[in-house]
Amino acid sequence: MALLEVRDLQTQFFTRDGVVRAVDGVSFELDRGRTLAIVGESGCGKSVTALSIMGLIPRPPAEIVAGEVLLEGRELTALDESELEQVRGRRIAMIFQDPMTSLNPTLKIGTQITEALRHHLGLGRREARTRAAELLDEVGLPLPQQRLDDYPHRLSGGMRQRVMIAMAISCNPAVLIADEPTTALDVTVQAQVLDLLDELRHEHDMAMLIITHDMGVVAEVADDVLVMYAGQVVEQAPVEELFDNPQHPYTEALLGALPQLDEQEVRSGRLTAIPGRPPDLLDPPAACRYAARCPYASRADSCTTEMPALRPVRRGHLVRSAHPACERAEAAAEVPA
Amino acid sequence: MAVNPAPRRVRDRAPWRLKDRRYRAAAESVTAEQRPERPQHEAGAPVRQSSLWRDAWRRYVRNRAAVVAAVAFGLLVAFCLFYPLVSPHDPYEVNFSQASESPSLEHPLGTDRFGRDLLTRTALGGRVSIGIGFAATIAILLIGVVYGSIAGFVGGWLDNGMMRFLDALYGLPYLPFAIITIAIFGNVTFWVMVVALAIASWFTAARIVRGQIITLKQNDYVRAAKAIGARWHRILGRHLLPNTLGVLIIAIFLELPAVILGEAFISFIGLGISPPDASWGAMAQDGRAVYRVHPIEIVIPSVAIATLILSANFIADGLRDALDPRTKET
Amino acid sequence: MTALVIRRLVWTIPVLLLVIFLTFVLMRQIEGNPFRTSERAIPESIQRNLEAKFGLNDPWYVQYAKYVEGVATFDLGPSLTQRGQTVNEVVREHFPESLELGGLAFLFAIVVGIPLGVVAALRANTPTDYAAMVVSNLGFAVPSFLVATLLIYFVVVRWGVADIPTSGWTTWQSKILPVVALGLGPAAYFARLVRGSMLETLQQDYIRTAKAKGLPHRRVVLVHALRNSLIPAVTAAGPLLGFLITGSFVIEQIFAIPGIGRYYVTAVTGRDYSVVMGLTVLLAIIVIVANLVVDIVYGFLDPRTRDARA
Repeated sequence: MALLEVRDLQTQFFTRDGVVRAVDGVSFELDRGRTLAIVGESGCGKSVTALSIMGLIPRPPAEIVAGEVLLEGRELTALDESELEQVRGRRIAMIFQDPMTSLNPTLKIGTQITEALRHHLGLGRREARTRAAELLDEVGLPLPQQRLDDYPHRLSGGMRQRVMIAMAISCNPAVLIADEPTTALDVTVQAQVLDLLDELRHEHDMAMLIITHDMGVVAEVADDVLVMYAGQVVEQAPVEELFDNPQHPYTEALLGALPQLDEQEVRSGRLTAIPGRPPDLLDPPAACRYAARCPYASRADSCTTEMPALRPVRRGHLVRSAHPACERAEAAAEVPA
Repeated sequence: MAVNPAPRRVRDRAPWRLKDRRYRAAAESVTAEQRPERPQHEAGAPVRQSSLWRDAWRRYVRNRAAVVAAVAFGLLVAFCLFYPLVSPHDPYEVNFSQASESPSLEHPLGTDRFGRDLLTRTALGGRVSIGIGFAATIAILLIGVVYGSIAGFVGGWLDNGMMRFLDALYGLPYLPFAIITIAIFGNVTFWVMVVALAIASWFTAARIVRGQIITLKQNDYVRAAKAIGARWHRILGRHLLPNTLGVLIIAIFLELPAVILGEAFISFIGLGISPPDASWGAMAQDGRAVYRVHPIEIVIPSVAIATLILSANFIADGLRDALDPRTKET
Repeated sequence: MTALVIRRLVWTIPVLLLVIFLTFVLMRQIEGNPFRTSERAIPESIQRNLEAKFGLNDPWYVQYAKYVEGVATFDLGPSLTQRGQTVNEVVREHFPESLELGGLAFLFAIVVGIPLGVVAALRANTPTDYAAMVVSNLGFAVPSFLVATLLIYFVVVRWGVADIPTSGWTTWQSKILPVVALGLGPAAYFARLVRGSMLETLQQDYIRTAKAKGLPHRRVVLVHALRNSLIPAVTAAGPLLGFLITGSFVIEQIFAIPGIGRYYVTAVTGRDYSVVMGLTVLLAIIVIVANLVVDIVYGFLDPRTRDARA
């Protein structure tokens, strides 16, 4: 049984202008000790997926309308608020994108770490403080004892993110969700934080769900990858398989948009941008949502009439497309030269 | 104080309050045709631009309370301006035989103890109160804009000095200051009151304007303007001041009630405009003498003041939301 | 922190001097002097003697200097109209009542207004919220003289609740109505402010983090949200004091409370310079001290300002 199982999750926002289908049928499994990366551009629903798992979506106007989230076999969507409070922080933890705004500016760092320890693990004041210092040390902050009495505005972005990580792992959760943990940090710090996350995951034997829009981050830490577009999963595969054999046109474009320094694939110097924008999630087309930007979409095929299903095309590799790369290769081979 | 929400399940429940459930049903029922102004663009088409003012107007109009307030405000002002022109009663004529009457058809609000029609007097009082309010507010803003722009734009030691001076002025209690100013002039006329109120309350406006100018000054487009050699008056006039316009409009509707209230207070303690041109505050003071038997005489002008203040506040709130959509209250 | 306090205290001196100067200048502009405007016709020679005695004939800078000296030694001079009384005595007689009135009204505003705002924010967009906001809007807009009058009317005249006097400031019952009448406006103001601030705080990222840690709702609100929400309320408390002072003038009149508000007006119209000066200076000191306290509390609530103030 997987540690975290999400089945056909659907989250919608009920707004003045209609219903926004932010997450439209996402499913995946996360096993202990593995890292799953959810990758996609802004607005594709990856953050909302994470928040839905945690039960942190703003209740009006949003709502989980269908699907299940099973953590260690327990159905999270059926829990009420006080039961969820027991689970959050204790069995599943989350760190957020912007460490500047994610820490309470009026409370000391020490307080913010110890409150979780005291609430979930029942530690006394002194014990909690000692443990907090240990945690800060574990995440690589120098002079942890002094840091406990500092306020967040005294620390740099990287240090704050480390504090966030310390807070998250403090109660030894089974699953850690990281929502764009490095986006707000500068490049040198990014690598350090990613290494730290990976290390901690090994040591505490956690499963990690990392949300990002950066394929470089995916390459760095992920074991499995989920590519999302317009609220749906469009490709799902282990990381090496994804990078070696991307199937969905969107994934190919994402990889092509990466600056390459590799001499074997030196391009003519241009980064390929994907023209256009994602569809309006208020009124998504009933057919393939990527069709408008896809170089292979054709009216002759079902692209503009039917929603392609998520299906396996290679081993362990699922795609939602009428024109996955392997089929395109076959089709090209059939055409007489 | 109960802080915990009632425990609720995430799905399949009726935990959303009635309003939220209707909200959800409403959202679900919106079909494609009904969606307002959302261009039906395919992925890839550019989104249509719309000007700042038009957006603000649209947002303001969506706020029901603000619209009601604006209407109420307008009606009240219109009433005060025009009713005395059409009223069948002479507001100055004393007529003891009709003193202290209850509302009737002839006198919709009754009469005061001198037999004067209350409705007409209220309208007249409104002219005075609102007139003072607007005049003083404009004066405050003028002083504030000049002072604040100089301080904010020049910056440096001049700004420092001016702000310190302002801080010192904050130490002067408002009402006593206004009272002394009035006393200087001896005879309290309309303009004396305006001056007194303006002098006592311009500090906040100056501070706001200066704050705005300083924030805007750091914007890149100002630097760009300087880089192409624009002169200071052009920068000030073309770039900085128009952007403070929004803040100033909001400030008008915030200062107005404060000024009107201030005038009411001063009149109430007897230092108001000399009769017979009574403002609402003066009318309230008059009414105080007979409130036990004829409370309407104090209630009516007070309610008028309250209505004006309330509507001005809501208008200010509405404007603030319309011009700065980041502050959401869902 | 202490550096902040010391610096502010040092600043109060020039501010005070300025206040005294301005009041001084303004008072001198008022025509007439107390001896010429009093009802009893005083013979010219005696007037001149009186003027000389009270130093009214000295050049203005001499008068100013003498006065400043007086303030520094807590001697506010003699009253010019109440023969035989010094301003100090006037203050000692009347000031405590006003201070008590203002203080109690402020307490009322905090104790009623802030919880109301918090509750309204937590139950946003429900009937409770709407009710609370309607009440607070009314309380804010209705001028305090109307509130006072209505209170008196309903409580005493209509409902006949015994034992609540409507004048004087003696028993605790006599204090209820004036305090409520004066404090209702500020309470309403606080309620609106806290509600708005709380709503905004609850949208912040760190609240989401706190919830993600699984902290109970009560803690999230009371510890994480409240602290940050109170900051604008504290900022507003300073100017609110001014409101309390001005409001007290009116309330004291209505409820016949022998405080300095009532005394002030008579002093101004009677051209009693020293009383006016003394009272104005006193009020200014109060406002300045109050602002200082507000700044200190603000520094306590928001640790960012402790370091930023350079």
